[in-house]
Amino acid sequence: MVRTGIFLISLVLLNGCVTHTEPAELFQLTAETAKHRAMQTRFFETPNEKELLSASAAVLQDLGFQVEESVREVGFLRATKERSAREYGQYIQRALFLVLSLGKLLTPVDLHQKIAAGLITKPLNQEATRQQVRIVFYRVVWKGDGQADRQYIPPGQQHMEMIRDPEIYQQFFAKLSKAVFLEAHTI
Amino acid sequence: MLYGCSTPQTPQNLLALTDAQLKIRSIQTRTFDVKDRNAAIRGVIASLQDLGFIIERANEPLGLVTAARFAEPNYYDVISVTVTVRQDTKDSLTIRANAVYNNKPIEDPKVYQNFFASLERSLFLTKE
Repeated sequence: MVRTGIFLISLVLLNGCVTHTEPAELFQLTAETAKHRAMQTRFFETPNEKELLSASAAVLQDLGFQVEESVREVGFLRATKERSAREYGQYIQRALFLVLSLGKLLTPVDLHQKIAAGLITKPLNQEATRQQVRIVFYRVVWKGDGQADRQYIPPGQQHMEMIRDPEIYQQFFAKLSKAVFLEAHTI
Repeated sequence: MLYGCSTPQTPQNLLALTDAQLKIRSIQTRTFDVKDRNAAIRGVIASLQDLGFIIERANEPLGLVTAARFAEPNYYDVISVTVTVRQDTKDSLTIRANAVYNNKPIEDPKVYQNFFASLERSLFLTKE
């Protein structure tokens, strides 16, 4: 009974690893599209798109980002910042696993991360008196080395994730709104 | 050993156009009755953002937009897309999209249909 249980669980876990989304599905708007858009977007009552873009760059600088790419004609900015990704909890977990596996398993921990932001400004109406700002944050995390039994796990394994914490976006827009002396309206 | 010594030959037809390529080009291309090229490029960016893509590069004079996203829910496979916007006549322009799944070009017409459907929506919304 227990064995079947373990077998079933491992089957579910294995299945979870090979989830494969068809590319056609990834080019489709989903139920979450509107939610993400609302979280990532604010609009400002101003005709000055350039000012909004340069203020956005300044806010990103304040937040420690380096601007890597900018295109004024389409209101585009891309910025990144690299920081340590070490977390206390992961080290405790690593030590716990090491003890539980009798010194055989040394799980890799997150070492380094790159947080990136892509920002787009866009006039919302014909007269361009209202501008929209949309920002997307995501991060890439690099892991350190580890060991499973006698097999060495080399460092550099990476994983990525979109940042979907509304608070991060609220903080950014609060700063931007202060920088341009305008109220940030939600869509 | 012997095999290692012979240099691999570059195929002669490396850059030749095949029928399949012509077919893919037609799948990847749409013409829109839009006058404002800049608005069209912004529309492309907006619809890519709606689809969850991260804009990597944009070039207004050349009408180029490059973006990528993960094949969520997995974060190991990456889909990249390059979109070009070119003015055809005074009041129509051609938009072409090329999508790649990791290192494999996407040839499924459905992918492009879906992309252009969402682009149409965003171009229509901008016009309002």
